[in-house]
Amino acid sequence: MAIPLVPKLLRAHLAELAENDERHDGRSRWEARDTELEIGVLPRAEGSAKVRIGNTIVYAGVKFQVMTPYPDRPNQGGLMCSAEVRPVAGPNWEPGPPSPESIELGRVVDRGIRESGCIDVDDLCIIPGEKAWQVILDLFAISDDGNLFDAFALAGIAAMRTAIIPQKRFEIGAEDRPLIVSKTPIMCSYQKVGGRFVYDADGKEELGGDERIHITLGDDGHVHSLQKGLRGIFTDDEFSEIMEQAQSRCKDLREMVNKAEEAG
Amino acid sequence: MGGYGDVQMLDENGLRMDGRNPADLRPISIETGVVPVADGSASIRWGTNYAIAAVYGPMECHPRKIQRQDRAVLDVRYNMAPFSTTDRMRPGFNRRSREVSKVTADALESVVLLEMYPRCKVRVEIEILCAEAGTRCVGLTAASVALAHAGIPMTDMVVSVASGKIHDVVVCDLNKEEDNYGEADLPMGILPNSGELVFLQMDGDLSPDEFKQAWDYNMEAATAIHEIMVEALKGGDS
Repeated sequence: MAIPLVPKLLRAHLAELAENDERHDGRSRWEARDTELEIGVLPRAEGSAKVRIGNTIVYAGVKFQVMTPYPDRPNQGGLMCSAEVRPVAGPNWEPGPPSPESIELGRVVDRGIRESGCIDVDDLCIIPGEKAWQVILDLFAISDDGNLFDAFALAGIAAMRTAIIPQKRFEIGAEDRPLIVSKTPIMCSYQKVGGRFVYDADGKEELGGDERIHITLGDDGHVHSLQKGLRGIFTDDEFSEIMEQAQSRCKDLREMVNKAEEAG
Repeated sequence: MGGYGDVQMLDENGLRMDGRNPADLRPISIETGVVPVADGSASIRWGTNYAIAAVYGPMECHPRKIQRQDRAVLDVRYNMAPFSTTDRMRPGFNRRSREVSKVTADALESVVLLEMYPRCKVRVEIEILCAEAGTRCVGLTAASVALAHAGIPMTDMVVSVASGKIHDVVVCDLNKEEDNYGEADLPMGILPNSGELVFLQMDGDLSPDEFKQAWDYNMEAATAIHEIMVEALKGGDS
């Protein structure tokens, strides 16, 4: 990713707003932009979702492959999650092999889903030691106006929850069956802008902001993944505050996934 | 172009598997402004195909070595998303996507007034999110609309469509099954206002008469598709 110049004016402006507890688009500190979730939007994928958060738009698609189980886990299938931010998504994203930024995106979302234990990997076994299903979750950004992390995580879990294992096409079963996803891990991201953390930073706030923290919480409020990114220092008080915010926001987003699933 | 085995491509009334007449296009709808952060963008649903094109620029040309003193550089990328096909597509460029990117760039360079922006770059990003058949035509058409939406000066928009042959019958706009089992494919890039061409490929087997028929189908289809493109741009979306 090309590193854009951060104008001092932008940083000064954001800091000034922060002093009055304001944001440049009029949101309050913990307020999200308009968030929309659609499922089943990509007919070639076995599970898919589109998420729009403000002007950030991403897709997630689930595909299946047959793999040989790892020798130390002969009864288990696998999960692979990768994020691609291609130059279509914004003027600073460049072509070429995956950038460190997009690799971090994919890995943080992957950890949240994997560590929540929502996928029963034993259920993916076809023939022990020989054949198992590999679930591949591809995250694809169309428009980056900040907070790709939350958009990817939300689209990712929604796509997984609606995925169908194509047993007929692979001649492995007589009928296709749904992928069993027992939980709904949800990510909430906070970025320090003008000296204090805000929720759902947009492109401008990312550009003029400092460190960010990503929290993935499970159904029962358990923590499944954390990531601190970019240069910056934070205190334990700051962390406790955003953790509390994340607990309530995750519930709302989980409700959104459940509703989309019921409607779809 | 393989044989069709025992797959029946046309019924006794000469209708195709999806109920179309030989000259019919698949349903097409176009939307502009689908990538809010881009300078111009468009999406096309064309049958089951779904493609997005985004345009960035004119902007400073990096790296400097590709800069042109007398005109802008058109940087075109065609890519298929990993979940766009039945079997997962490995991310990254392959030989096919490089070739499609190149012929798409050649077509668009023929209409964009690049001389107006010396030493600049215009980026055109084509992403196929769901592929059926004819994705290069879908991508090129989407890119034309995105360029117009970005306000990049052009002599005309490019309308791209393919015709081909199944069971010795020439048909317009092959779908997935027809493309897999068909005997020929003739994709063209047409300038609808003048009837001139900026893109042409063909593979398979066509007699001179069949070739003429396929050519004429494409020309007729281009007029119909052009209307949809113009309507989408008039939509006033962003």
